[in-house]
Amino acid sequence: MNLWQYILRRLFYIIPTILGVALIIFIIFNVVAPDPALIMLGKHATVAQIAELRNELGLNKPMWAQYLDIVKSAFTFEFGRSWTTKQEIIQMIKNGAIPSLTLTLPAFILSTVIAISISLVVSFFRGKWIDKCAVFFCVLLMSVTSLAYILFGQWFFAYKLGWFEISGYESGFPDFIPYVVLPVIIWIILSIGPDVRFYRTVMLDEIYQDYVRTAKAKGLSERVILFKHVLKNAMIPIITFVVIQIPFLILGALLLESFFSIPGLGGITLNGVYNSDFPVIKAMTILTAMAYIIFSVITDVLYTVVDPRVRLK
Amino acid sequence: MKKFTTLFAALAILVGFASCTKKEKETGKTINIAVSADIKGMDPIYANDRYSSNEVGRVYEGLLEYHYLKRPYTLVPNLAESMPTVSEDGLTYTFKIKQGVLFHDDAAFPNGKGRELVAEDFVYSIKRLADPKLQGLGWWLLDGKIKGLNEWREKHSDLPKVDYDEVVEGLKATGKYTLEFKLTKPFPQFLYSLAMPFTFATAREVVEKYGQEFLNHPVGTGPFILPTFKQTKKVVYTKNPNFRKKLYPSEASEEFKAAGFLADAGKELPLVDRVVVNVIIESQPRWLNFLKGKVDFISIPKDNFDSAVTPDRNLSPEYKEKGISLLINPSLDVTYTAFNHDLKLFQNADLRRAMSLAYDVKKSNELFYNNTSLPAQSVVPPGIAGNIPNYTSPYRGPNIEEAKKLLAKAGYPEGKGLPEITYDCPSGTVSRQIGDYMKQQLAQIGVRIKVVTNPWPELQKKITKRQVMLYGIAWGADYPDAENFLQLLYGPNKAPGANGSGYNNPEFNKLFKTASVMQDSPERTALYEKMNRIAAEQAPWIYGVHRQNFTLRHSFLKNYMSTDFETGQAQYLNIDTAMKAKAVEKL
Repeated sequence: MNLWQYILRRLFYIIPTILGVALIIFIIFNVVAPDPALIMLGKHATVAQIAELRNELGLNKPMWAQYLDIVKSAFTFEFGRSWTTKQEIIQMIKNGAIPSLTLTLPAFILSTVIAISISLVVSFFRGKWIDKCAVFFCVLLMSVTSLAYILFGQWFFAYKLGWFEISGYESGFPDFIPYVVLPVIIWIILSIGPDVRFYRTVMLDEIYQDYVRTAKAKGLSERVILFKHVLKNAMIPIITFVVIQIPFLILGALLLESFFSIPGLGGITLNGVYNSDFPVIKAMTILTAMAYIIFSVITDVLYTVVDPRVRLK
Repeated sequence: MKKFTTLFAALAILVGFASCTKKEKETGKTINIAVSADIKGMDPIYANDRYSSNEVGRVYEGLLEYHYLKRPYTLVPNLAESMPTVSEDGLTYTFKIKQGVLFHDDAAFPNGKGRELVAEDFVYSIKRLADPKLQGLGWWLLDGKIKGLNEWREKHSDLPKVDYDEVVEGLKATGKYTLEFKLTKPFPQFLYSLAMPFTFATAREVVEKYGQEFLNHPVGTGPFILPTFKQTKKVVYTKNPNFRKKLYPSEASEEFKAAGFLADAGKELPLVDRVVVNVIIESQPRWLNFLKGKVDFISIPKDNFDSAVTPDRNLSPEYKEKGISLLINPSLDVTYTAFNHDLKLFQNADLRRAMSLAYDVKKSNELFYNNTSLPAQSVVPPGIAGNIPNYTSPYRGPNIEEAKKLLAKAGYPEGKGLPEITYDCPSGTVSRQIGDYMKQQLAQIGVRIKVVTNPWPELQKKITKRQVMLYGIAWGADYPDAENFLQLLYGPNKAPGANGSGYNNPEFNKLFKTASVMQDSPERTALYEKMNRIAAEQAPWIYGVHRQNFTLRHSFLKNYMSTDFETGQAQYLNIDTAMKAKAVEKL
């Protein structure tokens, strides 16, 4: 099977996946979610108004018709408007995606590059004090809650030292940079612990393989072995780990965005759930499912790029 | 290793770059406000929360407003030329509206120039609120009150298109600048509706041009302009250059006169060039931004209260030195624990009274409100007619001995025979702690409580479906009239109406019905007070507290006070720029 056939076939899986996702969210929404009409009308709700509003929201339509509406919106990308804010959902996502990405993308790239670099160094010095110290610091970094980094970082570096903006955001390059540097650094600190430990394990798995001994026997230097051979062979788990995280970058970073007032997508799903804002929940779930499928296809394709032995079936 | 060095150097440069924090290039006077929730949009008919209605109130205006410097809260004309003439039967209200008031410039108008406001704009705006297709969130204000409006709404709910040109008997522009309302029955609180953002004036051509996107294109007659609203964390309003000649008030209540609030008397509004609203959801960054002078005033976050306010309710010297001052203002609200009166168990007044007596409200004030609140004796808060000054409820706890006696009288000596009672509350930390406190308090007399926390929508659903026994909740005033609080105990308002507890007392209902059609008068106040006493003696709820706002402001912010009705406040605020420049240096 050639590459394109494989990609098309995998993308075709989006259809049954979306039907399934739509069914699950539809059932969950109808069984357990509170009445959105009641939430929207708040403290002055009356029986008549609740009935009217449910009618306007389309909640009195037959179940199958409501389900078909969800499926239709998944394929047309017309998710309508939020019930809570009355804003167009696609516009809400567009407005939020860029600020989220200005925070998460540099943070993700930097933390990945730094973590891989550190793990290469510690693999190089495996078992030595550098390796032991690195592992110790990773565990230490992981032991502190993310909120503590945020609260301390904001208070000390932004307020006390005045190095960064306390919170806020400006659209456009390079205006946004002063506002995202501190959250990016905090993101890196937060992810460096688990990332280094993961990459280090991957590297060490490779380092004890036969081909490494062969390379050593041939007289190749440790550096060449590490960068040319080990890193290349470790790419498969690294790609799996990295690429699959990309769709979630668009969804933003809830805590960082909230504390640093970055107008991203971090809270959009949470607010949707909290307010029983079904169109928002629907849009975010479907888009996440789609992104997940697309990026898993990309992961598979990248496997063939880094390792020609991999065949897609 | 060279590569790693390069990487770390790049990071260091990034940090260096960032350390040049953004310098504000500020010209003119700017008010910086921090709000703790996202702003939904700018359509007046959906402005049902404090945050959205404050934003709507910067751009749009209504017929009436609250006098900025008078307490008790007093309605005064805003877009109305004067207060309305009211017919003898209290059913017809006739308004003359101000001439020469212009809408903001917008592409929806010919040549992009804002046209003059006319009476028909109010007719249109109020019909929008009643439009069944739009489901405006303030419809409860006018539901059943204006002649023909409910019929118009019902008729159009089944039609594909709403006809705004169809005449409604009780809502007419009888001249270019004359507006007439005919009510179905006397409703003295009607005028308050006209000071609420739901009824503010919108222009039909703007609504029709932008359609569903109207909520992002606010075009009003107000003191500030916002060409496009984008749901983000920062909203910047600029002064409306065509704002009518509206002056800062020259009269004030004594408290405001003494505090120097008349320094700007007679000056043209608004007093500042820009209003910047920052959405800062978390309390730490809000607090730190305030301390840095980037936000002009702040309601003190709970966690910073002890550092800012001394036990004797003064500002800490550390903050005084920074030119910060403390404002304490009671808010028109009440917190309470409601009994579900549908349950036979709670139709037993002695049981309710016993539980109320077991509850130590003073201790709860200490624990949960930093001892800043006023223990509630009944339903109506201080500051509005109907509250009885210095009144103490006979069932205000703690009085454990008396509570035990009443519990025995109710048929449950030492709690024997009582089922376990569930206490539902919202799922926030403090709400849960209040629940645990309630459990511990009632355990003293042998009443067993089980605390159940719920996400807010779930709690609302349970109340509406009558699936609660006891629940903790609060009510904030929509307008400064005791009716807005007493209706919470009016039988016919039972859930899903505002009377979530389902309390139904024929005597109370009768008094409420009589008072609800009376104009403000000593007679009506006497009825309100009578209802307030019944509400204390019958203990339909376990009363909590009336909260107080503790607000800090920087000395360079002038004319600011904490108020229950903040809509339109920004136009009265002023900034002493010279003082600000000096103060910020110290911060």
